[in-house]
Amino acid sequence: MKTIPLSLCSLFLCSLLASLSNAANAAQKPQEILAASDAVRNPDYPFGLTNTLVEYRSGKQTDTSTLAIYSKADSNSGQFRSLIRYVAPARDANKLILYSGKDLWFYDPSSKASIRMSPQQRLLGQASNGDVVTVNLAKDYQAITALEEDTQDGDRQIKHCYKLAMNASTPDATYHHIDMWIEVGNNHPVKARFYTESGKLLKTAYYRRYEKQLGIDRPTETVIIDGLDPSWVTVMRYSDLVKRDVPELWLQRDYLPRFKPE
Amino acid sequence: MMRPHRTPLLILCMAAVGLLPLQSKAQDDPDISALLVANQMPDVVEKASNWRIFSEAAAGGGVLRSNASTQQSQRLSFDVQYDGTLAQGWRAILSDRLDINWPAQISGQNSINTVKEAYLIWQMQNDILLDAGRINVRNGVATGYNPTDFFRNGALRSIVSADPSSLKENRQGSVMLRAQKLWDGGSVTALFSPKLAEQANNASFSLDIGATNSQNRWLVALSQKMAEGWAPQFLLFKSEQLPTQIGMNLTTLVNDATVAYVEWSGGRSPSLLAQAYQQQGLYFPDTSAFRNRTSVGLTYTTENKISVTTELEYNGGALDQNKWDALQRGPLAIYGQYRNYLQTVQEAPTARAIFVYASWQDALLNHLDLSAMSRFDAVDSSRMSWLEARFHFSHAEFALQWQRNSGNRLSDYGVATKMQSWQLMARYFF
Repeated sequence: MKTIPLSLCSLFLCSLLASLSNAANAAQKPQEILAASDAVRNPDYPFGLTNTLVEYRSGKQTDTSTLAIYSKADSNSGQFRSLIRYVAPARDANKLILYSGKDLWFYDPSSKASIRMSPQQRLLGQASNGDVVTVNLAKDYQAITALEEDTQDGDRQIKHCYKLAMNASTPDATYHHIDMWIEVGNNHPVKARFYTESGKLLKTAYYRRYEKQLGIDRPTETVIIDGLDPSWVTVMRYSDLVKRDVPELWLQRDYLPRFKPE
Repeated sequence: MMRPHRTPLLILCMAAVGLLPLQSKAQDDPDISALLVANQMPDVVEKASNWRIFSEAAAGGGVLRSNASTQQSQRLSFDVQYDGTLAQGWRAILSDRLDINWPAQISGQNSINTVKEAYLIWQMQNDILLDAGRINVRNGVATGYNPTDFFRNGALRSIVSADPSSLKENRQGSVMLRAQKLWDGGSVTALFSPKLAEQANNASFSLDIGATNSQNRWLVALSQKMAEGWAPQFLLFKSEQLPTQIGMNLTTLVNDATVAYVEWSGGRSPSLLAQAYQQQGLYFPDTSAFRNRTSVGLTYTTENKISVTTELEYNGGALDQNKWDALQRGPLAIYGQYRNYLQTVQEAPTARAIFVYASWQDALLNHLDLSAMSRFDAVDSSRMSWLEARFHFSHAEFALQWQRNSGNRLSDYGVATKMQSWQLMARYFF
């Protein structure tokens, strides 16, 4: 009979702790929730990873690319700068892209050409440059509201989330405004919808396959669904995430012909 | 580890027992289908390779200007590229291409092997690198005409396409020693390319050192980031035959869809016509003067992945309207000598040109890339037009190219032996 009062007590304590936790989270400002979710997606130190992109149209695989990505946050802006190397397909192997804010360079080792690109020049089909490289959303967007609601995650489970409404706050932002669902209690990004200025849905992204990576649970897959044509789906799967040095030297045009990571 | 995904049946069951709110389900229906599609993704991660190897077969034809007859042509090519680390701090680069043509190209050989690059890199420190061997040094930010591409002289051994990127890729480097020091936001490069042979060698498997290393040359290039998005490059180039030339490259982002660039080089030099004479050991009055060479352009990209580059080109060493007209009216041998020389040094015969290049990624069909190019000689109004449709799979590519040369008989493009030509190509990456 003693177990019942103990269980009740435990339940009470758990409820109290949960309430306190919720109260603490509720006290978080929308921008803090956004920043916390950035920290779940991106380590706060230089790192390397492999991003495998597969594109599907009407249920059929139509394209695939594999990219090795090396990222480092800029000490001034806080935004990530990335060096991307094509691993596959064979026709693109060893081509490089340097992303440093709006400073974009494409390097082809065959022609030795370093070509400056505008942010509108996409090289990876549906996935925008901002989707592929590491982005700290809190640096480019201002979260306005955080409303609690239940939503389905990428594994079709119901998750209790903050629905963050955020607007672009810098010229570097790729999208005009974004709605993002972030799980209450652990700040896991669950899904996001990206819009144009006129309110047209450009794409929906689901963050899923959470796995322990560099110390915490992080999403290892993003599923991007086209806003106009939901049968157009791009899956980005991340592997080989490692903490590594990304010297400043690498992140400039003149280093591109020299880049050869081990 | 891949997380197991539930089936649509399970979702329906969950919905039926009220686990999924109806409103949410209705809203997310397209998402559910998409997520189920995403579950098909194979759990395979490709690994990087030090090699890139492909072979290419091409067949085509052209209408000859001389008698309007059609000439068929075929080509088989093999291209190998290696970039590997030999030991800590040591890296080797090798790039070679073999083109087998029927009929033979202008050199008279069916087979033309081009050793594009073969060199060693020693990374002395993180920020200091030394290179030695045959290196394809290609400076310049412009697309159609690169006034600072000082090492293109004698670099073309086999021409397989008029596409500027093909001309830049399928060429041989110069033998040189090169050193580079990098720092955050800039670098300085110094190189020396010695004279190693006198004459070009058209033999099929010749290293053809004489084509690229027939004189001593040196170059110093300095890049420095001045402000966010502004990193100009300045160059000094000296060859045995010409006074020191200076150069500059600069790009800027006009807006999210537009990149602007300017590439310039200048210095005292004789006219290209005088250089053509001098190369043959013939007398030509001194025409030395400070001459500018410039490419200014814009690349605009639309939301549906169409990029259009428009470039204005000026070469102060080439001929203006009057001199070009006079040359065309003069002896054909001298005209031919001038054009042959320009082919070697990859310069245009006249001073002004307009270049337009458009490419459309995933045009109309997924994996179909369309490209179009026009080179317009603004002095004699002749024109070269080029179109390409390229369809690619993961390991294979198919391309159809068409080219038309129009203009008066001895004009810049009107003199081409083929009025129009086409070729169908299939490429396979191993």
